[in-house]
Amino acid sequence: MSNRTLQDSVRPAALPLGGKLPARQRTLQLAAMGGALLLLLLWPAMTNIYRISFVFFLLQYVVLASSWNIISGFTGYVSFGHVAFFGIGSYTTAILVAKHGWPWYLTLPLAGLLPVAWAAFIGYPCLRLKGPYFAISMMGLNEALRVVALVWESLTGGGFGITMPNVENSLETYYAGLAVAALTVAMCYAIAHSRFGLRLAAIREDETAAEAMGINTTAHKMYAFMLSAFWPGVIGGIVAYKLLYIEPDSTFFIIITVNMITMAMLGGKGTVLGPVIGTAILYTAQELVWWHLPWLHLIAYGAFIILIVLFMPRGIMGFLIDRGWVAKGVIQ
Amino acid sequence: MRAEGTVDDAGILDLQALTKHFGGVVAVNQCSFRVPRNIIAGLIGPNGSGKTTLFNLLTGILPADGGDYFYKGEPMLGLRPHEICRRGISRTFQIIRVFREMTALENLVAVSRDRNIADVRRRALELLDFVTLLPLKDEYAGNLSYGQQKLLEFARALMSAPDVLLLDEPAAGVNRTLLTTLLDRMHELRAQGKTIVIVEHDMQVVMNHCEKIFVLDHGELIAEGVPGEIQGNARVIEAYFGR
Repeated sequence: MSNRTLQDSVRPAALPLGGKLPARQRTLQLAAMGGALLLLLLWPAMTNIYRISFVFFLLQYVVLASSWNIISGFTGYVSFGHVAFFGIGSYTTAILVAKHGWPWYLTLPLAGLLPVAWAAFIGYPCLRLKGPYFAISMMGLNEALRVVALVWESLTGGGFGITMPNVENSLETYYAGLAVAALTVAMCYAIAHSRFGLRLAAIREDETAAEAMGINTTAHKMYAFMLSAFWPGVIGGIVAYKLLYIEPDSTFFIIITVNMITMAMLGGKGTVLGPVIGTAILYTAQELVWWHLPWLHLIAYGAFIILIVLFMPRGIMGFLIDRGWVAKGVIQ
Repeated sequence: MRAEGTVDDAGILDLQALTKHFGGVVAVNQCSFRVPRNIIAGLIGPNGSGKTTLFNLLTGILPADGGDYFYKGEPMLGLRPHEICRRGISRTFQIIRVFREMTALENLVAVSRDRNIADVRRRALELLDFVTLLPLKDEYAGNLSYGQQKLLEFARALMSAPDVLLLDEPAAGVNRTLLTTLLDRMHELRAQGKTIVIVEHDMQVVMNHCEKIFVLDHGELIAEGVPGEIQGNARVIEAYFGR
């Protein structure tokens, strides 16, 4: 290698990680993201309470699908119990607001950190499992948390749930949700364009090979899992405060996990924008179908998922990448 | 074709009664030998003789059931694969295990521990050039031909700047042109002071390129020596062709 003076034949590595998309595409992406953010910032001034709430809950799923994408899309560990982190965050905020009189916004750091602690606690044993075993273990742990919330009446109110003082909170929760969604997507972007993200992708592709090549896969999986738990907890806290009432069955509801998985897969798991696009399309479609065809909405939803799996198995982003419309790879 | 130079007898890898069972099957049985520094060594034996299992033990992918082994005098048993790699033992796999949905360049950058990304990228591009894959740096690894994937895996194994490289069947399924590239690079690495151990069924490759050969049969070391000695060894002939 040394006598081939290889440095002479390759162009210098001047670019850091990230920001390596072709200039035109990068400008387009930034313009689209800036435009969307501006529209979302102005949205409450342009419309009514119903539509503000609609976008708030859409943003909730942006956070959930993007967070799920960190451990399941980037790292390849498909979690069927991610709603547990959302539920812990919801209960943290509800308990602190209703029982201890905390201002709701001060509860949010704790609503994010407690799920991270839970992820650290269960991560070491669970992340030793692979494929369906990991998925089922996560689902089982979520169910265990639901039961704990149901039976620990002194803390959680049991089946009666927790009711918070009634206030009008649409605007503050909307902007909090928007901020959290923006931060979640920004974090996903930072991960995807870092070597940490590349290593997660290596683990997803072949964990044994990644480990044999010097990647500490246990540590990387743990970090990814803990990062994927933070924002669902925070948004859980915000949702709890917006609804002003929570109870175990709807908070640890497995359909929330199914929704976040479906949305991420529709957009393209393992990509940054995939879960955002998937959520925007699927949540809007769900709402429209439910609105116009209430007796058919689950059938239509199922048919929609089947069509996506048949014709775009790698999601919308995968479809675009395969056709060369979006740059592939992180490093160029 | 064999590399010039004196074989240094101070072993870089020292295996002592290494043993591995799979249920009732003894895959590696009390295997003891020493791999000298800075040579190209061959590990051969009939199918199922325990060669790949031995590689898996040496790289920590499988836990050993008995024995021990040392790298530069340091005990390695019980270390996790990434720790072994970081100490200086890297490998390729019998069945290719490139990161298929990542580009060739990303395959290399992902596994580097160097904090300076510009250095990492430069090193990755150098290695891709080293194995003649530079024009394909932005191609998905899964889109490369079988031989190119072997070369990519070889380059990836070099990203950690190992002192010992374990290559599991590097010649299998590779066309002559790519094989020549691979063998040339092996000799360049050997000239740089690396130790290379290959598991290989292509006897032309083994006899022409290895300075020392270890022969396994039913998990036991049945012979070791230079190619001329191995070719005439009665136990080796028996292991391959029967009595």
